[in-house]
Amino acid sequence: MKLLNNDIQLIRQLQDGDKRALLGLYDKYSGALYGVIFRICSRKDLAEDVLQETFLKVWQKIGQYDADKGRFYTWAYRIAKNTALNAVRKASPLIQTDDLSVYDTKAQETPVDYSEFNGLLKKLEPQHQKAIELVYFKGYTHQQAHKEMGVPFGTFKSYVRQAVGKLREMYSKELLLLLLYLEIFVNG
Amino acid sequence: MDKKNILKNGLLELFLLGELSPEQERTVHEALKKDSDLMVQFRSMEADFERMAFENALKPPATVRNSLEAALTSKEIQTPVRTLNISNAEGSRQKGRFMLAASLAALSALSTVLMYTQWQRAKENLQVLQQQTSGLEQRLTDVEKKYEDTTNKYQKINDPNVTPLLLVGNEKLPQGRATAYVNHTTKEVVVNPQGLPALDKDHTYQMWADVEGKMIDMGLVPTDRDLVALTYIDKAESLNITIEPAGGNDHPTVENLVSNIIL
Repeated sequence: MKLLNNDIQLIRQLQDGDKRALLGLYDKYSGALYGVIFRICSRKDLAEDVLQETFLKVWQKIGQYDADKGRFYTWAYRIAKNTALNAVRKASPLIQTDDLSVYDTKAQETPVDYSEFNGLLKKLEPQHQKAIELVYFKGYTHQQAHKEMGVPFGTFKSYVRQAVGKLREMYSKELLLLLLYLEIFVNG
Repeated sequence: MDKKNILKNGLLELFLLGELSPEQERTVHEALKKDSDLMVQFRSMEADFERMAFENALKPPATVRNSLEAALTSKEIQTPVRTLNISNAEGSRQKGRFMLAASLAALSALSTVLMYTQWQRAKENLQVLQQQTSGLEQRLTDVEKKYEDTTNKYQKINDPNVTPLLLVGNEKLPQGRATAYVNHTTKEVVVNPQGLPALDKDHTYQMWADVEGKMIDMGLVPTDRDLVALTYIDKAESLNITIEPAGGNDHPTVENLVSNIIL
Protein backbone atom coordinates (compact mmCIF):
# COMPACT_ATOMS: atom_id res chain seq x y z
CA MET A 1 0.00 0.00 0.00
CA LYS A 2 1.27 3.45 -0.82
CA LEU A 3 1.97 5.97 1.87
CA LEU A 4 -0.60 8.68 1.95
CA ASN A 5 0.36 11.72 -0.12
CA ASN A 6 0.24 14.09 2.79
CA ASP A 7 2.54 11.86 4.82
CA ILE A 8 5.00 11.58 1.95
CA GLN A 9 5.18 15.35 1.65
CA LEU A 10 5.64 15.86 5.38
CA ILE A 11 8.33 13.18 5.55
CA ARG A 12 10.16 14.66 2.56
CA GLN A 13 9.98 18.13 4.09
CA LEU A 14 11.32 16.76 7.37
CA GLN A 15 14.13 14.91 5.60
CA ASP A 16 14.97 18.21 3.90
CA GLY A 17 15.37 19.79 7.32
CA ASP A 18 11.98 21.50 7.63
CA LYS A 19 11.27 21.08 11.33
CA ARG A 20 7.74 22.46 11.03
CA ALA A 21 6.76 19.32 9.13
CA LEU A 22 7.28 17.44 12.38
CA LEU A 23 4.27 19.25 13.87
CA GLY A 24 2.14 18.05 10.94
CA LEU A 25 3.13 14.47 11.70
CA TYR A 26 2.58 15.14 15.39
CA ASP A 27 -0.96 16.37 14.75
CA LYS A 28 -1.79 13.21 12.86
CA TYR A 29 -0.04 10.52 14.89
CA SER A 30 0.46 11.81 18.43
CA GLY A 31 -2.90 10.46 19.69
CA ALA A 32 -2.30 6.94 18.44
CA LEU A 33 1.28 6.91 19.76
CA TYR A 34 0.28 8.48 23.08
CA GLY A 35 -2.29 5.67 23.48
CA VAL A 36 0.55 3.15 23.33
CA ILE A 37 3.03 5.20 25.37
CA PHE A 38 0.53 5.90 28.14
CA ARG A 39 -0.36 2.23 28.47
CA ILE A 40 3.33 1.30 28.75
CA CYS A 41 4.25 4.09 31.19
CA SER A 42 1.01 4.07 33.24
CA ARG A 43 1.98 7.58 34.38
CA LYS A 44 0.84 10.82 32.82
CA ASP A 45 3.98 12.90 33.49
CA LEU A 46 6.30 10.20 32.20
CA ALA A 47 4.10 9.49 29.17
CA GLU A 48 4.09 13.17 28.19
CA ASP A 49 7.89 13.33 28.36
CA VAL A 50 8.18 10.14 26.33
CA LEU A 51 5.80 11.45 23.67
CA GLN A 52 7.90 14.58 23.22
CA GLU A 53 11.13 12.58 23.20
CA THR A 54 9.64 10.22 20.61
CA PHE A 55 8.95 13.06 18.19
CA LEU A 56 12.36 14.58 18.76
CA LYS A 57 13.85 11.19 17.86
CA VAL A 58 11.62 11.06 14.77
CA TRP A 59 13.10 14.40 13.77
CA GLN A 60 16.67 13.24 14.42
CA LYS A 61 16.29 9.83 12.76
CA ILE A 62 13.99 10.65 9.87
CA GLY A 63 16.92 10.12 7.47
CA GLN A 64 16.90 6.44 8.43
CA TYR A 65 13.20 5.95 7.65
CA ASP A 66 12.69 3.77 4.57
CA ALA A 67 9.11 3.66 3.23
CA ASP A 68 9.85 0.34 1.50
CA LYS A 69 10.25 -1.30 4.88
CA GLY A 70 6.92 -0.16 6.25
CA ARG A 71 4.50 2.62 7.00
CA PHE A 72 5.62 5.72 8.85
CA TYR A 73 3.34 4.87 11.76
CA THR A 74 4.93 1.42 12.20
CA TRP A 75 8.39 3.01 12.30
CA ALA A 76 7.31 5.72 14.75
CA TYR A 77 5.51 3.10 16.87
CA ARG A 78 8.76 1.17 17.35
CA ILE A 79 10.57 4.34 18.42
CA ALA A 80 7.75 5.22 20.83
CA LYS A 81 7.65 1.72 22.32
CA ASN A 82 11.41 1.54 22.87
CA THR A 83 11.57 5.06 24.28
CA ALA A 84 8.71 4.29 26.68
CA LEU A 85 10.22 0.97 27.80
CA ASN A 86 13.57 2.67 28.48
CA ALA A 87 11.87 5.46 30.40
CA VAL A 88 9.92 2.98 32.54
CA ARG A 89 13.11 1.04 33.26
CA LYS A 90 14.91 4.25 34.33
CA ALA A 91 11.97 5.32 36.49
CA SER A 92 11.55 1.89 38.07
CA PRO A 93 11.06 2.16 41.86
CA LEU A 94 13.75 -0.52 42.30
CA ILE A 95 16.44 1.80 41.04
CA GLN A 96 14.72 5.10 41.82
CA THR A 97 16.95 7.48 43.70
CA ASP A 98 14.75 10.59 43.59
CA ASP A 99 12.00 11.52 46.01
CA LEU A 100 9.32 8.92 45.28
CA SER A 101 6.57 11.00 46.87
CA VAL A 102 6.71 13.35 43.89
CA TYR A 103 5.84 10.55 41.54
CA ASP A 104 3.21 9.10 43.88
CA THR A 105 1.40 12.43 43.87
CA LYS A 106 1.60 12.74 40.11
CA ALA A 107 0.40 9.18 39.60
CA GLN A 108 -2.77 10.05 41.47
CA GLU A 109 -3.43 12.83 38.98
CA THR A 110 -3.91 10.35 36.13
CA PRO A 111 -7.51 10.80 35.04
CA VAL A 112 -7.67 8.37 32.12
CA ASP A 113 -8.70 4.74 32.42
CA TYR A 114 -6.24 3.25 29.96
CA SER A 115 -7.15 -0.35 30.79
CA GLU A 116 -10.28 -0.12 28.67
CA PHE A 117 -9.98 -0.65 24.95
CA ASN A 118 -12.10 0.67 22.14
CA GLY A 119 -13.01 -0.31 18.61
CA LEU A 120 -12.87 -3.78 17.17
CA LEU A 121 -10.17 -4.89 19.62
CA LYS A 122 -12.95 -5.14 22.22
CA LYS A 123 -14.76 -7.68 20.06
CA LEU A 124 -11.89 -10.18 20.08
CA GLU A 125 -11.99 -13.27 22.30
CA PRO A 126 -10.54 -12.45 25.76
CA GLN A 127 -7.32 -14.45 25.19
CA HIS A 128 -6.74 -12.76 21.80
CA GLN A 129 -7.45 -9.31 23.24
CA LYS A 130 -5.03 -9.95 26.10
CA ALA A 131 -2.30 -11.17 23.73
CA ILE A 132 -2.54 -8.03 21.59
CA GLU A 133 -2.74 -5.81 24.66
CA LEU A 134 0.49 -7.28 26.04
CA VAL A 135 2.63 -7.24 22.91
CA TYR A 136 1.26 -4.13 21.21
CA PHE A 137 0.03 -1.82 23.94
CA LYS A 138 2.22 -2.88 26.87
CA GLY A 139 5.46 -3.49 24.97
CA TYR A 140 5.97 -7.06 26.23
CA THR A 141 8.10 -9.38 24.11
CA HIS A 142 6.46 -12.65 23.11
CA GLN A 143 8.73 -14.41 25.63
CA GLN A 144 7.57 -12.17 28.48
CA ALA A 145 3.94 -12.17 27.39
CA HIS A 146 3.43 -15.95 27.30
CA LYS A 147 4.70 -16.16 30.88
CA GLU A 148 2.43 -13.29 31.92
CA MET A 149 -0.55 -15.13 30.45
CA GLY A 150 0.62 -18.48 31.85
CA VAL A 151 0.39 -20.34 28.54
CA PRO A 152 3.08 -22.18 26.50
CA PHE A 153 5.06 -20.09 24.03
CA GLY A 154 3.57 -21.88 21.01
CA THR A 155 0.04 -21.31 22.29
CA PHE A 156 0.75 -17.64 22.78
CA LYS A 157 2.10 -17.29 19.25
CA SER A 158 -1.09 -18.92 17.99
CA TYR A 159 -3.15 -16.41 19.99
CA VAL A 160 -1.33 -13.51 18.32
CA ARG A 161 -1.66 -15.05 14.86
CA GLN A 162 -5.36 -15.77 15.38
CA ALA A 163 -5.95 -12.25 16.74
CA VAL A 164 -4.24 -10.71 13.69
CA GLY A 165 -6.43 -12.85 11.43
CA LYS A 166 -9.61 -11.87 13.29
CA LEU A 167 -8.76 -8.18 13.11
CA ARG A 168 -8.19 -8.46 9.35
CA GLU A 169 -11.54 -10.18 8.96
CA MET A 170 -13.43 -7.66 11.09
CA TYR A 171 -11.86 -4.56 9.52
CA SER A 172 -12.61 -5.90 6.03
CA LYS A 173 -16.24 -6.54 6.95
CA GLU A 174 -16.59 -3.12 8.53
CA LEU A 175 -15.14 -1.49 5.42
CA LEU A 176 -17.58 -3.37 3.21
CA LEU A 177 -20.49 -2.20 5.36
CA LEU A 178 -19.21 1.38 5.27
CA LEU A 179 -19.07 1.30 1.49
CA LEU A 180 -22.56 -0.15 1.31
CA TYR A 181 -23.84 2.69 3.52
CA LEU A 182 -21.99 5.18 1.34
CA GLU A 183 -23.49 3.62 -1.77
CA ILE A 184 -26.99 3.84 -0.27
CA PHE A 185 -26.35 7.38 0.95
CA VAL A 186 -24.99 8.62 -2.40
CA ASN A 187 -27.48 6.86 -4.66
CA GLY A 188 -30.41 7.21 -2.33
CA MET B 1 13.74 -18.18 4.62
CA ASP B 2 10.57 -18.96 2.66
CA LYS B 3 7.08 -17.53 3.06
CA LYS B 4 5.73 -20.67 4.74
CA ASN B 5 8.32 -20.53 7.53
CA ILE B 6 7.89 -16.80 8.01
CA LEU B 7 4.14 -17.16 8.42
CA LYS B 8 4.37 -20.34 10.48
CA ASN B 9 6.81 -18.77 12.96
CA GLY B 10 4.85 -15.52 13.21
CA LEU B 11 7.86 -13.52 11.99
CA LEU B 12 5.69 -10.91 10.27
CA GLU B 13 4.10 -9.99 13.60
CA LEU B 14 7.52 -9.92 15.29
CA PHE B 15 8.91 -7.79 12.43
CA LEU B 16 6.09 -5.29 12.83
CA LEU B 17 6.56 -5.14 16.60
CA GLY B 18 10.33 -4.65 16.20
CA GLU B 19 11.16 -7.80 18.17
CA LEU B 20 13.51 -9.40 15.61
CA SER B 21 17.31 -9.30 15.68
CA PRO B 22 18.91 -7.15 12.93
CA GLU B 23 19.86 -10.35 11.04
CA GLN B 24 16.29 -11.71 11.18
CA GLU B 25 14.95 -8.29 10.17
CA ARG B 26 17.14 -8.33 7.07
CA THR B 27 15.95 -11.85 6.19
CA VAL B 28 12.27 -10.91 6.53
CA HIS B 29 12.80 -7.67 4.61
CA GLU B 30 14.46 -9.57 1.75
CA ALA B 31 11.58 -12.08 1.71
CA LEU B 32 9.06 -9.22 1.62
CA LYS B 33 10.85 -7.63 -1.32
CA LYS B 34 10.81 -10.89 -3.27
CA ASP B 35 7.29 -12.09 -2.45
CA SER B 36 4.52 -9.67 -3.34
CA ASP B 37 1.85 -11.80 -1.67
CA LEU B 38 3.80 -11.73 1.59
CA MET B 39 4.20 -7.97 1.20
CA VAL B 40 0.44 -7.55 0.76
CA GLN B 41 -0.13 -9.53 3.95
CA PHE B 42 2.37 -7.39 5.85
CA ARG B 43 0.89 -4.13 4.57
CA SER B 44 -2.59 -5.28 5.59
CA MET B 45 -1.31 -6.18 9.04
CA GLU B 46 0.35 -2.79 9.36
CA ALA B 47 -2.87 -1.04 8.31
CA ASP B 48 -4.92 -3.08 10.80
CA PHE B 49 -2.55 -2.39 13.69
CA GLU B 50 -2.45 1.29 12.80
CA ARG B 51 -6.22 1.45 12.71
CA MET B 52 -6.41 -0.37 16.06
CA ALA B 53 -3.97 2.17 17.51
CA PHE B 54 -6.11 5.04 16.22
CA GLU B 55 -9.22 3.45 17.72
CA ASN B 56 -7.42 3.38 21.06
CA ALA B 57 -5.73 6.76 20.75
CA LEU B 58 -5.53 9.08 23.76
CA LYS B 59 -5.43 12.84 23.33
CA PRO B 60 -2.18 14.20 24.72
CA PRO B 61 -2.28 17.52 26.57
CA ALA B 62 -1.62 20.61 24.41
CA THR B 63 1.41 21.36 26.58
CA VAL B 64 3.34 18.54 24.90
CA ARG B 65 2.86 20.07 21.45
CA ASN B 66 3.79 23.51 22.76
CA SER B 67 6.85 22.10 24.41
CA LEU B 68 7.87 20.25 21.24
CA GLU B 69 7.37 23.41 19.20
CA ALA B 70 9.50 25.38 21.66
CA ALA B 71 12.22 22.75 21.52
CA LEU B 72 12.24 22.98 17.72
CA THR B 73 12.25 26.78 17.71
CA SER B 74 15.06 27.02 20.23
CA LYS B 75 17.21 25.02 17.86
CA GLU B 76 16.25 27.05 14.80
CA ILE B 77 19.14 28.82 13.07
CA GLN B 78 18.29 32.48 12.89
CA THR B 79 18.13 33.79 9.33
CA PRO B 80 20.43 36.85 8.91
CA VAL B 81 18.45 40.04 8.35
CA ARG B 82 19.77 43.06 6.41
CA THR B 83 19.45 46.28 8.48
CA LEU B 84 17.94 49.31 6.68
CA ASN B 85 19.69 52.67 7.18
CA ILE B 86 16.74 55.05 7.83
CA SER B 87 15.96 57.79 10.35
CA ASN B 88 14.05 57.03 13.57
CA ALA B 89 10.76 58.80 12.69
CA GLU B 90 10.73 57.56 9.13
CA GLY B 91 11.86 54.20 10.43
CA SER B 92 8.95 54.03 12.82
CA ARG B 93 6.42 54.85 10.04
CA GLN B 94 8.13 52.40 7.69
CA LYS B 95 8.16 49.85 10.46
CA GLY B 96 4.39 50.27 11.05
CA ARG B 97 3.63 49.84 7.35
CA PHE B 98 6.01 46.95 7.15
CA MET B 99 4.38 45.25 10.16
CA LEU B 100 0.92 45.70 8.61
CA ALA B 101 2.08 44.30 5.28
CA ALA B 102 3.86 41.45 7.02
CA SER B 103 0.74 40.63 9.08
CA LEU B 104 -1.43 40.59 5.97
CA ALA B 105 1.10 38.43 4.16
CA ALA B 106 1.29 36.08 7.15
CA LEU B 107 -2.52 35.84 7.32
CA SER B 108 -2.70 35.17 3.61
CA ALA B 109 0.04 32.55 3.82
CA LEU B 110 -1.66 30.90 6.81
CA SER B 111 -5.03 30.66 5.08
CA THR B 112 -3.35 29.32 1.94
CA VAL B 113 -1.56 26.67 3.99
CA LEU B 114 -4.82 25.76 5.76
CA MET B 115 -6.71 25.48 2.48
CA TYR B 116 -3.90 23.50 0.91
CA THR B 117 -3.84 21.12 3.89
CA GLN B 118 -7.61 20.62 3.69
CA TRP B 119 -7.37 20.06 -0.04
CA GLN B 120 -4.57 17.52 0.39
CA ARG B 121 -6.55 15.71 3.09
CA ALA B 122 -9.62 15.54 0.87
CA LYS B 123 -7.51 14.28 -2.05
CA GLU B 124 -5.84 11.71 0.13
CA ASN B 125 -9.18 10.45 1.52
CA LEU B 126 -10.61 10.24 -1.97
CA GLN B 127 -7.62 8.29 -3.22
CA VAL B 128 -7.83 5.80 -0.35
CA LEU B 129 -11.56 5.41 -0.89
CA GLN B 130 -11.09 4.86 -4.62
CA GLN B 131 -8.46 2.17 -3.99
CA GLN B 132 -10.68 0.46 -1.43
CA THR B 133 -13.75 0.69 -3.65
CA SER B 134 -11.93 -0.83 -6.58
CA GLY B 135 -10.67 -3.71 -4.41
CA LEU B 136 -14.11 -4.28 -2.95
CA GLU B 137 -15.80 -4.16 -6.36
CA GLN B 138 -13.55 -6.99 -7.47
CA ARG B 139 -14.35 -8.95 -4.34
CA LEU B 140 -18.05 -8.31 -4.80
CA THR B 141 -17.87 -9.62 -8.38
CA ASP B 142 -16.07 -12.74 -7.15
CA VAL B 143 -18.63 -13.25 -4.38
CA GLU B 144 -21.51 -12.79 -6.86
CA LYS B 145 -19.98 -15.31 -9.21
CA LYS B 146 -19.50 -17.80 -6.40
CA TYR B 147 -23.06 -17.20 -5.25
CA GLU B 148 -24.36 -17.75 -8.79
CA ASP B 149 -22.35 -20.99 -9.09
CA THR B 150 -23.63 -22.21 -5.75
CA THR B 151 -27.23 -21.35 -6.69
CA ASN B 152 -26.86 -23.25 -9.98
CA LYS B 153 -25.46 -26.25 -8.20
CA TYR B 154 -28.20 -26.10 -5.60
CA GLN B 155 -30.89 -25.91 -8.32
CA LYS B 156 -29.35 -28.80 -10.21
CA ILE B 157 -29.59 -31.15 -7.24
CA ASN B 158 -32.86 -29.85 -5.78
CA ASP B 159 -34.98 -30.01 -8.93
CA PRO B 160 -38.09 -32.18 -8.24
CA ASN B 161 -37.26 -34.16 -11.40
CA VAL B 162 -33.85 -35.16 -10.04
CA THR B 163 -33.26 -38.69 -8.75
CA PRO B 164 -30.38 -38.88 -6.27
CA LEU B 165 -28.45 -42.14 -6.42
CA LEU B 166 -25.87 -43.22 -3.84
CA LEU B 167 -22.94 -45.13 -5.30
CA VAL B 168 -21.32 -47.21 -2.55
CA GLY B 169 -17.77 -48.48 -2.94
CA ASN B 170 -17.27 -52.28 -3.32
CA GLU B 171 -14.63 -54.41 -1.55
CA LYS B 172 -11.89 -52.57 -3.50
CA LEU B 173 -13.05 -49.23 -2.17
CA PRO B 174 -15.10 -49.95 0.97
CA GLN B 175 -14.97 -46.35 2.25
CA GLY B 176 -15.86 -44.79 -1.12
CA ARG B 177 -19.13 -42.94 -1.59
CA ALA B 178 -20.43 -40.77 -4.44
CA THR B 179 -23.87 -39.31 -5.08
CA ALA B 180 -25.15 -39.00 -8.63
CA TYR B 181 -28.07 -36.65 -9.36
CA VAL B 182 -29.83 -37.74 -12.55
CA ASN B 183 -32.42 -35.51 -14.20
CA HIS B 184 -34.21 -37.46 -16.93
CA THR B 185 -36.29 -34.39 -17.91
CA THR B 186 -33.40 -32.02 -18.65
CA LYS B 187 -31.07 -34.96 -19.44
CA GLU B 188 -28.40 -33.87 -16.98
CA VAL B 189 -26.18 -35.79 -14.59
CA VAL B 190 -24.04 -34.30 -11.85
CA VAL B 191 -21.97 -36.20 -9.30
CA ASN B 192 -20.76 -35.21 -5.86
CA PRO B 193 -17.38 -37.00 -5.59
CA GLN B 194 -16.45 -35.71 -2.12
CA GLY B 195 -16.86 -39.17 -0.57
CA LEU B 196 -14.33 -40.80 -2.92
CA PRO B 197 -10.78 -41.09 -1.59
CA ALA B 198 -8.25 -39.00 -3.55
CA LEU B 199 -6.09 -40.99 -5.99
CA ASP B 200 -2.42 -40.52 -6.86
CA LYS B 201 -1.60 -38.19 -9.76
CA ASP B 202 -1.35 -41.08 -12.26
CA HIS B 203 -4.95 -42.27 -11.79
CA THR B 204 -8.47 -40.92 -12.00
CA TYR B 205 -12.05 -42.03 -11.43
CA GLN B 206 -14.18 -42.41 -14.56
CA MET B 207 -17.91 -43.01 -14.81
CA TRP B 208 -19.63 -45.26 -17.33
CA ALA B 209 -23.25 -45.96 -18.31
CA ASP B 210 -24.25 -49.52 -19.16
CA VAL B 211 -26.57 -49.57 -22.20
CA GLU B 212 -27.55 -53.06 -23.35
CA GLY B 213 -24.31 -54.54 -22.08
CA LYS B 214 -22.13 -51.83 -23.61
CA MET B 215 -20.21 -49.42 -21.33
CA ILE B 216 -20.40 -45.83 -22.56
CA ASP B 217 -18.07 -43.12 -21.25
CA MET B 218 -19.82 -40.43 -19.16
CA GLY B 219 -16.65 -38.52 -18.21
CA LEU B 220 -13.93 -38.20 -15.57
CA VAL B 221 -14.73 -37.69 -11.88
CA PRO B 222 -12.03 -35.54 -10.24
CA THR B 223 -12.26 -35.53 -6.46
CA ASP B 224 -11.21 -31.93 -5.89
CA ARG B 225 -14.61 -30.44 -6.82
CA ASP B 226 -17.97 -30.23 -5.09
CA LEU B 227 -20.01 -31.26 -8.12
CA VAL B 228 -18.95 -32.69 -11.49
CA ALA B 229 -21.20 -32.46 -14.55
CA LEU B 230 -21.17 -35.66 -16.66
CA THR B 231 -22.65 -36.70 -20.01
CA TYR B 232 -26.23 -37.93 -19.72
CA ILE B 233 -26.68 -41.28 -21.52
CA ASP B 234 -30.17 -42.31 -22.65
CA LYS B 235 -31.48 -45.75 -21.67
CA ALA B 236 -28.65 -46.34 -19.21
CA GLU B 237 -29.33 -49.46 -17.11
CA SER B 238 -26.60 -48.82 -14.53
CA LEU B 239 -23.92 -46.29 -13.53
CA ASN B 240 -20.39 -47.57 -12.92
CA ILE B 241 -17.22 -46.03 -11.54
CA THR B 242 -13.77 -47.41 -12.42
CA ILE B 243 -10.23 -46.32 -11.65
CA GLU B 244 -8.37 -45.52 -14.86
CA PRO B 245 -5.00 -44.01 -15.85
CA ALA B 246 -4.87 -40.20 -15.56
CA GLY B 247 -6.66 -38.57 -18.50
CA GLY B 248 -9.23 -41.37 -18.74
CA ASN B 249 -9.64 -44.50 -20.83
CA ASP B 250 -11.57 -45.38 -24.01
CA HIS B 251 -12.78 -48.62 -22.47
CA PRO B 252 -13.42 -49.38 -18.82
CA THR B 253 -10.91 -51.52 -16.92
CA VAL B 254 -13.46 -53.92 -15.49
CA GLU B 255 -11.14 -55.31 -12.81
CA ASN B 256 -10.86 -51.76 -11.44
CA LEU B 257 -14.62 -51.34 -11.03
CA VAL B 258 -15.07 -49.75 -7.59
CA SER B 259 -18.79 -48.92 -7.50
CA ASN B 260 -21.99 -49.35 -9.47
CA ILE B 261 -25.73 -48.91 -9.15
CA ILE B 262 -28.61 -50.32 -11.15
CA LEU B 263 -31.08 -47.70 -12.40
